[in-house]
Amino acid sequence: MTTATPAHSTSHGAHEHSEPTGWKKYLWSLDHKVIGIQYLFTSLLFLFVGGGLALLLRWQLAYPSTQVMPNGDIGNPASLAFINPQFYNSLFTMHATVMVFLVVMPLLIGAFGNYLIPLKIGAGDMAFPLINELSYWVYVLSGGVLMASFLVAGGAAAGGWTSYAPLSSVAAYNSTQMGQSLWCVGIFLNGLASIMGAFNYITTIVNMRAPGMSFFRMPLAVWSLFITAFLLLLAVPVLSAAAAMLFLDLNSGTNFFNPAHGGQPLLWQHLFWFFGHPEVYIMILPAMGMVSDILSIFSRKPIFGYKAMVFAMIAIGFLGFIVWGHHMFVSGMNLVLSAAFGVSTMVIAVPSAIKTFNWLGTLWGGSIRFTTAMLNALSFVLMFVVGGLSGIFMASTPVDIFVHHTYFIVAHIHYVLFGGSIFGIFAAIYTWYPKMFGRMMDETLGKVHFAFTFIFFNLCFFPMHNVGLGGMMRRIADPTAYEHLRSLQPINQFITLAAIGLGFSQIIFLWNFFRSLKHGAPAGNNPWQATTLEWMVASPPGHGNFAVTPTVYRGPYDYSVPGHKRDYIMQNEPDASDATLGAPRSTVSVG
Amino acid sequence: MRISLNPSHRLVLALLGLAISGAQAEIRETSVWWLPRNVNMFGHTIDFLFYVILILTGVTFIGVFSVLVYFLVKYRARPGVAALHSHGNNTLEVVWTTIPVFIFLGLAIYGNEQWTQMRLKTPPADALPVAVIGEQFGWNVRYPGPDGKLAKMEAAKVNKDNPFGIDSSDPAGLDDFTTYGELVFPVNRPIRLYLGSKDVIHAFYVPEFRLYQDMVPGRIYDFVWLKAEATGKFQLACNQLCGQGHYKMFGKLTVSTAPEYEAWAKSKAPSPSVTTVVPPSPVAMNQK
Repeated sequence: MTTATPAHSTSHGAHEHSEPTGWKKYLWSLDHKVIGIQYLFTSLLFLFVGGGLALLLRWQLAYPSTQVMPNGDIGNPASLAFINPQFYNSLFTMHATVMVFLVVMPLLIGAFGNYLIPLKIGAGDMAFPLINELSYWVYVLSGGVLMASFLVAGGAAAGGWTSYAPLSSVAAYNSTQMGQSLWCVGIFLNGLASIMGAFNYITTIVNMRAPGMSFFRMPLAVWSLFITAFLLLLAVPVLSAAAAMLFLDLNSGTNFFNPAHGGQPLLWQHLFWFFGHPEVYIMILPAMGMVSDILSIFSRKPIFGYKAMVFAMIAIGFLGFIVWGHHMFVSGMNLVLSAAFGVSTMVIAVPSAIKTFNWLGTLWGGSIRFTTAMLNALSFVLMFVVGGLSGIFMASTPVDIFVHHTYFIVAHIHYVLFGGSIFGIFAAIYTWYPKMFGRMMDETLGKVHFAFTFIFFNLCFFPMHNVGLGGMMRRIADPTAYEHLRSLQPINQFITLAAIGLGFSQIIFLWNFFRSLKHGAPAGNNPWQATTLEWMVASPPGHGNFAVTPTVYRGPYDYSVPGHKRDYIMQNEPDASDATLGAPRSTVSVG
Repeated sequence: MRISLNPSHRLVLALLGLAISGAQAEIRETSVWWLPRNVNMFGHTIDFLFYVILILTGVTFIGVFSVLVYFLVKYRARPGVAALHSHGNNTLEVVWTTIPVFIFLGLAIYGNEQWTQMRLKTPPADALPVAVIGEQFGWNVRYPGPDGKLAKMEAAKVNKDNPFGIDSSDPAGLDDFTTYGELVFPVNRPIRLYLGSKDVIHAFYVPEFRLYQDMVPGRIYDFVWLKAEATGKFQLACNQLCGQGHYKMFGKLTVSTAPEYEAWAKSKAPSPSVTTVVPPSPVAMNQK
């Protein structure tokens, strides 16, 4: 493995722009750290928007008798008091759209990708800072367009986040022409932002690694974001194109998806899921990478099977492009094709299993510190296992005939996306907050937040498996309309109460997050006594990150190397002898 | 095997994934914690595969969970005890890659075999053909008359006035009869479904039949077949989001004895002068 050539010897020297200060910093800064924090705040805001939508739709499912408006629009204030079926359809459509495109992707990739990649590879900034900033503002614009769609005549898109045609593509069928069109515009813009971010990340990682930072010395968080960037670059343009086609079908008289005029409804599904399945991995790989780093830090152990982890992620990235058809087993596409997709889907479970075993291997023989970050990371592992295992039911084509589109799959996606990605994001926030803001988050509040979130999450989502097996369909505004679902109502109400508890638990997080900005204990450079490059610089790091580009001498996980007083050796430390290592840089205790 | 359980035991069993198939129908009547009873011939395979996967995943989960908890307790940070410096173990990597590969491939191969049985084998020749064409928000149903044959349907001909896409001069169709949102299947006789849609994608979903199939406009699917093994009343549900009225797009599905079916069919048969049956409006059908 050859070492990378540094893009510049001192990071400051390469920057031609001057750093704006004060509020202007948050409008025009091209600094990847500022952009990362902008992404963090914006997507956390959307997390609460998306969560609010979820609570509204849960309310409707538990207490559908409050639905008294048979038909109404959101522009009419009277109809706001009650959730009518069309508004309910908008709620779950926009809940998923917001969570996928405005929360999980931007949190993992926009916030942590931006913040961590240059710091972890020893670069001064991203390769294209201006495009980076543009990516953020296009993302904000896409969020604005999607939010605005609630206010237009007919309301927001109501065809599900999957927007299956021809319901989505023919105005007469969906009654939300404006909302659906804005959905297309929003998704298109969001895709642009993702594509801009993706090639920026790839260029940065390929060209701007510090001397000595070979590919196989990169932390797994960087590897995961690197692989994710390729997935984005290959998958997102397909969705953007599909969204453009859908927009044209809706507004310009084309008929890509309308069979009444020769179009193909299944074409939409193929395009959507060709994006949609890699998207699943886009939303979990960065969390896997960051959680790997976090498990290693707080076990004080090197990651178990580093290369196996890298190759497993590459395998997931590759196989992720040949499994999309498993979303379409029951769509009526070629039945032999379903069988083939069934096999590839089973195969892609293997690298996920490898990763899980390696996480357990990392804990084995460790010296485990139960910080809030670690608790969230451990919960990521456990919840991901549940979500991964429940996926096997759908991967089996015959069982999918039964559980497809029931609440079983709603449980599954939430175990992966909330139990997995969101717990991973919490772990990452608790880990890197000190680096971002120079102060520690409160550990006690953090643990209370974790405990409530973990308990309410499971109370909310686990019973969904049962209602799904009981035969409850997803996306129905009123389960009591069905005789065979009426006996489910107590469970539905229980789930809703747990969801409300889950929502309110996040207030603890908000309080901790904002209070710690001013009142948290000072973090120092390296509060977790970690090895990677971001921990060698001040918290928060200055503009340009490194006064002098660091040289990397070792892999990212030199914890508990025998024969050393200190249980970690940073990547930029040249020699492993105690004499040169000196005293630990930070004395903030962990655990 | 019939097991009587009090509700709290049922709850615990269901949560542990140990509910036993004999008790399912009972659980279904009181609360829906578990699979509803199965009445379709293919349901046995699906349920069997479901339980195989449940046991495999359950054992895996318990294994992972136990190891995780054991490690967390055993390797918690203690003063004076350093962590091991280990970068991994290639033998273990090979072992825990190979075992899942075989398990997953086994599942895929067995699943595919069953899929082939259910979907790729031609239905028996004596199967009763029934056409179901979805629309916002109801079900057009067409049964063959005494000749046992449905009129030939073409997806390209499906439109607002011709939901089944038939040629009205087709002699096979003259004795066909139609209903709106009402299906009756004779018990123990294979049924071959012809599924399509007039407008958007709908889905034919009956949990007791372990059956879900999208109904896509522009296509008529003829590969779904089933055989009901017990009589009873069920609800047919649309399970593909189809618009504002999706949540109440349901139909009546009855499995009855052969004589009951014959009597019902006779009562629905068209009088010679009537060639088409006008469906009632969707509003009237949404019997809440």
